[in-house]
Amino acid sequence: MIRLENVTKVYEGGTVAAYDVSLDISKGEFVFLVGASGSGKSTLIRLMLREEPVTRGKIWVAGKDITTLPRWKIPYLRRSVGVVFQDYKLLPNKTVAENVAFALEVLGRPPSVITDQVEQVLDLVGLADKGARYPRQLSGGEQQRVSVARSFVNRPPIMLCDEPTGNLDPKTSVGLMKLLDRINRTGTTVVMATHDHAIVDAMKRRVVALEHGKVTRDEETGRYEGALK
Amino acid sequence: MSRFLFLVKEALLSLRRNALIVAGAVLAVFISLSLAFGALVVNEILRINTLAWQEGVHVISFLKDPGVDGVPVDAHEALLAEVRSWEEVEEARYVDKTGAWLEYQELFASQEELLDIDPNVLPASIRIELVDIDTHAAIKSRLQQNVLVVREVTTAADSIEQLQNLSSVLNVLGLGMAVVLGLAAVVLIANTIRLAIYARRDEVSIMKLVGASNWFIRVPFLLEGMVEGVVGAALAVFAVWLGSTNLARAGSGFALFRLDVGNDWFFRWGVLFLIFGAVAGIIGSMLGLSRYLRDAESSGAEVPTGF
Ligand SMILES: Nc1ncnc2c1ncn2[C@@H]1O[C@H](COP(=O)(O)OP(=O)(O)O)[C@@H](O)[C@H]1O
Ligand SMILES: [Mg+2]
Repeated sequence: MIRLENVTKVYEGGTVAAYDVSLDISKGEFVFLVGASGSGKSTLIRLMLREEPVTRGKIWVAGKDITTLPRWKIPYLRRSVGVVFQDYKLLPNKTVAENVAFALEVLGRPPSVITDQVEQVLDLVGLADKGARYPRQLSGGEQQRVSVARSFVNRPPIMLCDEPTGNLDPKTSVGLMKLLDRINRTGTTVVMATHDHAIVDAMKRRVVALEHGKVTRDEETGRYEGALK
Repeated sequence: MSRFLFLVKEALLSLRRNALIVAGAVLAVFISLSLAFGALVVNEILRINTLAWQEGVHVISFLKDPGVDGVPVDAHEALLAEVRSWEEVEEARYVDKTGAWLEYQELFASQEELLDIDPNVLPASIRIELVDIDTHAAIKSRLQQNVLVVREVTTAADSIEQLQNLSSVLNVLGLGMAVVLGLAAVVLIANTIRLAIYARRDEVSIMKLVGASNWFIRVPFLLEGMVEGVVGAALAVFAVWLGSTNLARAGSGFALFRLDVGNDWFFRWGVLFLIFGAVAGIIGSMLGLSRYLRDAESSGAEVPTGF
């Protein structure tokens, strides 16, 4: 589903944020990218979204070589990848339902389809009764669920999450992980960058550890600790 | 359809948000196109009248009523015969008071308030076509010497000369300013678009994030610029039309000189100017979007900066 081949990313200014990274992520996998702050987790996610070009190497997402993707096709890549960030990125002047619907509106879906799919996905994330609220009327955990709903409403085969629990307390984080787990069980490939030990240890999923942009460990059902030695 | 409504709604919302700078851009379009359109109208009036001047009646001699104030009863026939004998004169035609009244009624058919006059105040006249129009001044002064019969002599030459001066000033200065202001208008529109993008940067970044196509993101901004251009152009066309019809009304006394260019002409050029305004608006928007277009690769992860 996602394949990185000897990917190196050097930012302007010379920071090497990824060095010779090779990864193979199959359909339906759940993968944690772990590592200290600045180890290059977000960079890998940005590369997979073609938000940044690679310096060297190749990346395939959903069967397409995205390093040579023409600009005008980038929106189509983004439609097959749902993205969730630490800061929910909701529009404050739109209700929960409108925030989720926005993702379908801009793809030009007909209103009847939008209403249906928004209802379904809000049900999935457990916010069926809060569609009419504004983001500020929700807890952080609920806002992040809205963000997940928005990125998943289009049923993308891949979800990329960059520290989605970064602003949440441990209990709320567990709830969000259950949601991502459920999404993963529908066959969606999930890649999640985090430095939350407890979550990684509890989930017992594949762990890719990064240090200064290099992959130092790649284990099935790994633990976080190994990454720190 | 819903998609189109969504785009229009976005554009209108944005226009309202930046009302002041939008007003500035519209004003620049308005002034620029008014100058250009005004120059065009003056050129057209000049063209119509020069043609009429070259092909039509060149001199009109209005006559005092015969049998009053010592004017001989046969004075009109005598003068007509004399004028016809001049070798500069190609043709001379006599229009009596009844003819003058008919002509007047025709001229002001659309302005009833002006028809309410005593037909008797309209003088008889001799309409003269010249062999060579350059002799108009000599003929005019020759007729003016006949103070007993001739009340007034008019030719279109003076008005045409004045108009030629105005037209050359407008063509150089007016069109020059129109071009400068037009460029300023495009830059101002580009600025309103940049502001609009900035005001909606969160929405734009989320649109990119969820994979909205580039044209879908751009269309509201293009519409916005287009609306600004079209509104400015419409105001300009309307203002010039208003000015020109009022001028035509005020000046319709000149029998030899036309100040109206006709509604057909206005309609044709008005539509062209609207298109012109729309194109200027779209160019401005594209200029405003060009920075964003370059950044099109980055998605919603980072808020766009540097506007
Ligand atoms: N846009 C950028 N320009 C220059 N350097 C960057 C940029 N983004 C990240 N970096 C640098 O790249 C390294 C990796 O950053 P990042 O991928 O954000 O790590 P993480 O998400 O693991 O904290 C850091 O040293 C960071 O300072
Ligand atoms: Mg990060």
